Amino acid sequence: MSKLLLVVERDLRSLVQNKSILLMRWFFVVVQIGIFGLAVSRIIVVMQDYFYYYAMGVMVMTMYSVAIFTGYEIYDEADEGFVEYLLSLPITRRELVIGRSLAGGLRSFIFMAPIIAGFLIFIGVFDPFKVLAALAALYGFAFGVSGLSITLAVGLKSGDRFDIIMGALDAFIVRLSSALYPQAFMPGPIAVLSKFNPLTYATDLFRWSLNFDMKYLADPVVALIVVVLFLMTFNFTGVIIYERSLEGGTWR
Amino acid sequence: MAIVRTLGLTKKYGSNVAVDHLNLEVQEGEILGILGPNGAGKTSILLMLSTIIKPTEGTAQVGGFDIRKNPYETRELIGIAFQEPKLFWVNTPWEILTWHAKVCGVKNPKQAVETMLKKLDLWDARKKFAHELSGGMKKRVEVAKVLIQRPKIAIVDEPTAQIDIGGKFQIWNMIRGLRDEGSTIILATNELSEADRLSDRVAIMYRGRLLVCDTPRNLKDSIPGGDVIDIRFGAPVEDKTMAELKGIAGIVNMALVKTTHMRIYLNRAEKMLPKIMDVLSNLGVEISSINMKEPSLDDVFLHYTGAVLEESQATPSAPSS
Repeated sequence: MSKLLLVVERDLRSLVQNKSILLMRWFFVVVQIGIFGLAVSRIIVVMQDYFYYYAMGVMVMTMYSVAIFTGYEIYDEADEGFVEYLLSLPITRRELVIGRSLAGGLRSFIFMAPIIAGFLIFIGVFDPFKVLAALAALYGFAFGVSGLSITLAVGLKSGDRFDIIMGALDAFIVRLSSALYPQAFMPGPIAVLSKFNPLTYATDLFRWSLNFDMKYLADPVVALIVVVLFLMTFNFTGVIIYERSLEGGTWR
Repeated sequence: MAIVRTLGLTKKYGSNVAVDHLNLEVQEGEILGILGPNGAGKTSILLMLSTIIKPTEGTAQVGGFDIRKNPYETRELIGIAFQEPKLFWVNTPWEILTWHAKVCGVKNPKQAVETMLKKLDLWDARKKFAHELSGGMKKRVEVAKVLIQRPKIAIVDEPTAQIDIGGKFQIWNMIRGLRDEGSTIILATNELSEADRLSDRVAIMYRGRLLVCDTPRNLKDSIPGGDVIDIRFGAPVEDKTMAELKGIAGIVNMALVKTTHMRIYLNRAEKMLPKIMDVLSNLGVEISSINMKEPSLDDVFLHYTGAVLEESQATPSAPSS
């Protein structure tokens, strides 16, 4: 088995080992969509199908929060000295970063799979091309978020700073995106900022592949390009930082 | 032939010099013990050789590969068992070792892991999470990684710390076995008996500097008068006996502990004793008992550093490795 796949395998195992956390998160997502989403969609009358818009946004947001978990895991591993073990293995730094990013994306994907599957059945989307396009959009985004998380974790080298930055990023990346409301309804400056947010494009790409009304979404071609650029940028940066920062020994 | 060669290898953490221009060669197939107190720089050397941290200055060649230019190729030759076990808490010994074996390209990884877990009395604990294992068990899992991997160069950092005496002998034998199968072993330890028992050569480190590197025998012999022979006589020692013994070439010093008890300081006591016995026999002196004691590595450490190893462990000014 290639070493890249072994890195992926190891990280995927850790998802299965946290069954109670998995169940809790599923419960949270289902309640959020099933109760809050339904209630809010009754209040919002200017936009048809807001419930579906909201549900799709929550799914992508949840994938974001699961993918970001890779960074927290790196801190756990650093605390236990496990990072040094990984660095001592006959694996290239590139394989380590890409493997962990791929696994981080896959974990969020596996985590959301039952909910997404249920949702696709609920809204009646069975076209394999559309299903694949939706899944690819989600996976591409989660892969990029994992890369971002690794880049920040290794670049910052401080669990506290990482916590603060991720908290702030989480607050802004969700609110300054079209995850929960379309750009058309945002105040001017917020709408401009949301155009620089990869979450906007990931959620809109997901919605587009599931036939949501195009008038509320970003151009799918632009969205696809942004998601691909996002995942490439942060995985590439992750490799560079992993090589320079971790081998430099300053982590210790 | 040297399989590892450090060239002015230096590691600084801020203003703290952990390893100071180290020039050292490790011969293929030997067990090189790196002995020194905490903060001597042992762990920093091992981490640099494993390419986990980069040197501040200098470099090292491992199996012909430069650790700076060819870190991946270097890691392919090296296996390391860390001082503190590196086990992620949600994994079991079985998972940890199987994954390690696969990453290191061990053939039949499951079979190799099963054999090793049984050898190290870890089979019953194979499905426990790492956080449920005792300190000694964790350490054995850590050492098992290198024993399964059978790398060309095995680095073991204090391999028997926290392990009971029975386990120590078991691990020492397995490390020797690894060497006998062709691996070169670099052993970092602050346990004198471990360095003495296992090492073909011992490098003594102190405050980041290499003080001396040689076989344990040569190191002990390098202390003038390091060997001690205690002779107890049936009657008080006469001046004539003292004078005759002083005439033997190679005796460094002599002292009367009691009138019937003489202490002789010399080197190579095992070779000198027959000469001493000849002299005493010719004089017709009655001997009650003879005791011979060679210096320990602690004496060697004291000789080169002016400090006892045990005391220098607590020296606050020693840099952290």
